[in-house]
Amino acid sequence: MTRPSEGGPAPEAGLPADPADRAASASPSAGRAASASPSAGRVASASPSAGRVASASPSAGRVASASPSAGRVASASEHIETPRLSRRALLGGALGGLALGGGAGALLGRATAPETAPSSSSTDPDAVPDSTAYEFYDQVHQGGIRTPPQRHAIFASFDVTATTASDLQVLLARWSASIAQLQQGRALGAVEPTRSTGVPTDTGEAQDLGPHGLTVTVGLGPGIFDERFGLAARRPAELAELPRLPSDQLRPGLTGGDLSLQACAEDPQVAYHAIRDLARVARGKAAIRWTVMGFGRASAGPHQSTPRNLMGFKDGTRNITTDEDYDAFVWHDGADQEWMVGGTYQVVRKIQMHIENWDTDYIADQHAVFGRTKLEGAPLTGAKEHDAPDFGATGPDGEPVIPPTSHVALAAHENNGGLKILRRSYNFTDGMAEDGQLDAGLLFIAYMNDPAAFVTLQTRLGRVDQLNEYIAHVGSAVFAVPPAPRRGSYIGAALFSPVE
Amino acid sequence: MPSSLTSRRALLAGSAGVAALLLAGCSSTDAPTPTSTAPSASTGTSADAGTSPSSGGASQVDVTLTSASGADACELSATSVPAGPVTFTVTNVDSAAISEFEIISDDRIVGEKENLAPGLQPVSFTVTLGGGDYQAYCPGAAEDTLDLTVTGEAAPTPTGGVQAVLTEGTTGYGTYVAGQIEAMVEAVTNLQAAVDSGDLESAKKAYATARPFYEKVESDVEGFVLPGADPTDNSGNLDYLIDMRASNLDEAVGWSGFHAVERDLFKSGKITDGTKTYAADLTANVTKLAELAGGLTYKPEDLANGAAGLLEEVQANKIKGEEEKFSHLDLVDFAANVEGAEQAFAYLKPGLKEIDPDLTQTVAQRFDDVKTALKDYEDTSALGGYAAWTDALRKTDAARLSQVIQALQTPLASIAEKVATAK
Repeated sequence: MTRPSEGGPAPEAGLPADPADRAASASPSAGRAASASPSAGRVASASPSAGRVASASPSAGRVASASPSAGRVASASEHIETPRLSRRALLGGALGGLALGGGAGALLGRATAPETAPSSSSTDPDAVPDSTAYEFYDQVHQGGIRTPPQRHAIFASFDVTATTASDLQVLLARWSASIAQLQQGRALGAVEPTRSTGVPTDTGEAQDLGPHGLTVTVGLGPGIFDERFGLAARRPAELAELPRLPSDQLRPGLTGGDLSLQACAEDPQVAYHAIRDLARVARGKAAIRWTVMGFGRASAGPHQSTPRNLMGFKDGTRNITTDEDYDAFVWHDGADQEWMVGGTYQVVRKIQMHIENWDTDYIADQHAVFGRTKLEGAPLTGAKEHDAPDFGATGPDGEPVIPPTSHVALAAHENNGGLKILRRSYNFTDGMAEDGQLDAGLLFIAYMNDPAAFVTLQTRLGRVDQLNEYIAHVGSAVFAVPPAPRRGSYIGAALFSPVE
Repeated sequence: MPSSLTSRRALLAGSAGVAALLLAGCSSTDAPTPTSTAPSASTGTSADAGTSPSSGGASQVDVTLTSASGADACELSATSVPAGPVTFTVTNVDSAAISEFEIISDDRIVGEKENLAPGLQPVSFTVTLGGGDYQAYCPGAAEDTLDLTVTGEAAPTPTGGVQAVLTEGTTGYGTYVAGQIEAMVEAVTNLQAAVDSGDLESAKKAYATARPFYEKVESDVEGFVLPGADPTDNSGNLDYLIDMRASNLDEAVGWSGFHAVERDLFKSGKITDGTKTYAADLTANVTKLAELAGGLTYKPEDLANGAAGLLEEVQANKIKGEEEKFSHLDLVDFAANVEGAEQAFAYLKPGLKEIDPDLTQTVAQRFDDVKTALKDYEDTSALGGYAAWTDALRKTDAARLSQVIQALQTPLASIAEKVATAK
């Protein structure tokens, strides 16, 4: 299932949106694991799930990218056949109810199975089989960036408590090896040790579930390059804590961090297991500082239908999809720091939505706030989601049809010197807030080759975006994301080689 | 590279506890003994020289962890070595699945390395093995258990040279420990007397005075159970009876020892009949401990591992403010742990200097750094001579103190291997 190419700029929608053309169906850049990994045999012998792990991938019909680099180049014209599974089943009951609040049809932007019955595998064009496993080693870029956004995410920011470079190396190496295991659906060692006094090294809750397209993305915060680890000379010029931006209402407990983990999977328990066990591996060396659990991806990836955020609007209509845009806006060229070649920056914002207020806003105002229609997601100057917005068009009253202070107008690349960022957001809820309102919003995650891009966009948005009446940025952090490691190495290893 | 085997060690001690003496490395055991940072084990007295590669008195075995086509493998460069010190050097080439390597004898771990991951430098550890059948265990490998045969009768007993200097040091350290234990008996007797007198302030002072002795030698005296006691029952576990804390309260046994007295003196601020019973029991149990621990002898690596164990105590309990929850005397215990560790190091120093002068200097410097950091908290007017480790102080200063300790732990951890293989 792929989406037809768009000829030019298309409409956009969503929260902190970047204006990105949704062009041709893009590639499986992350390097789909084509088949059950050879290691699946071991998993197989150890657990009942093995059969699924071993057998599912080949039949899944994923197009494998032969090699990471080749995959990227070749993939622009490559179309992926995605097997269909139940979206509702993947979402799970509780989260599904929330995510589907606007009605299943509206959510998907197309017909779906009735809500009363789990849909068959032929109704969800974006479904991913639970056996989907992504390779970790020998990719050009880390997973979880260009990987088609999975349904669930856990983001965790860590403080490093270790004080030596060697401890940090051990942590990054152990995390890398562990992530490689987890992404194949393998446990981190024994769930049930043979010795009676043995303590399980894997906590076990992901046993029998399959990899579910898990990716774990590791980021390095500005603190990694302070005086503690002797890495100051390795700090990329662009990496620093974000400046205070207009309308920021950041909470200390939701900001910053030395390391980040973004675990994404089609199953929430698989994602949580990854974060939990990686935090366990880190014990004594790093501790979680803040974390957000995201659900119902709120940014479209290549060849995915455009999902909706909790305001009910499509999010990510014009996300970055082409190789050209990835190279221009996402992947770092390593200009000042060679270890960043193929890396990127991750900007994370926890954005609270004043949902109750939004829910009382009349539809014409909702349209004006976003600059788009709600159901179709078309720009106010167009009829279809992917119609190009015409920011110059004026109405009978002489005023612009798309208000200049609408979210779309402020974020559009046409109005920002062509600037684009890759959005990879999720919805979140933390239950009820102390003020008696729903505590929910958007876990905004974006990737770009210079955090200044986010600063530029959010400075504009923070000043005058009509949406500000209904949202508050309460969490914030920025991380450098190194490229993927070779087999036999680990994420960030190049940082620790002698400076020449 | 640091290893963190504390929990493993505690588990082993718990499960292997048939004998009253569970302490790692005491010479009265004749089986391979699990120890902390640089595992070593010894059996018996003599052996013939073998033909396998050896360096610095130790046979060399390379352990290579690989992943070919997803099948993770663990390979040994030799499957047979002569009895004596054996150095295992573990290289994880590209196996994400294997993160741990162990040498096992009769289901007991006699040496291990954790945190193995592709891309890291090879790590090595040395164990002294007597003749017999051993297994190399590589959890995560397709074939996870490999046989290792040790030929010959037992490890050679080094004589003369550095080993003699080191042995002399262990004798001196044994005298130090005996002295601390003797002083501890006297101090808890004084504490009991102060409690019995009903004078709260003098009881608090006596408590602060008595605490350091146990903390100085804790890694040598922990692990004893009363003769004939069930090791799974804390009612016969002397470490529990003397040094249990609120955080490890065993409801079936209840409060006991130092911290039961502490709770009454510092939390409720009242001396009751119960307090008097706690103090009397403490004296009785410390007296029993002194009998059991009397005449302990040590191998050089026991001193190194014991010092490492004391620093783990600092990190695990003192910096967290868990040890002295009611009196906030954690820094007094902290200083005592550090003193005990430095004493062990001091007795090894003459021999260690011959083996590795750089390491000796580094460790000595890091001890000085720790003591310098502690000086900021000295307060002659405070109970025990150090500032109270309150929650507020801990919040601002814990990370700083933890860092100087960690800086010491890393080089200290490499001493055991050096002294165990010294000729």
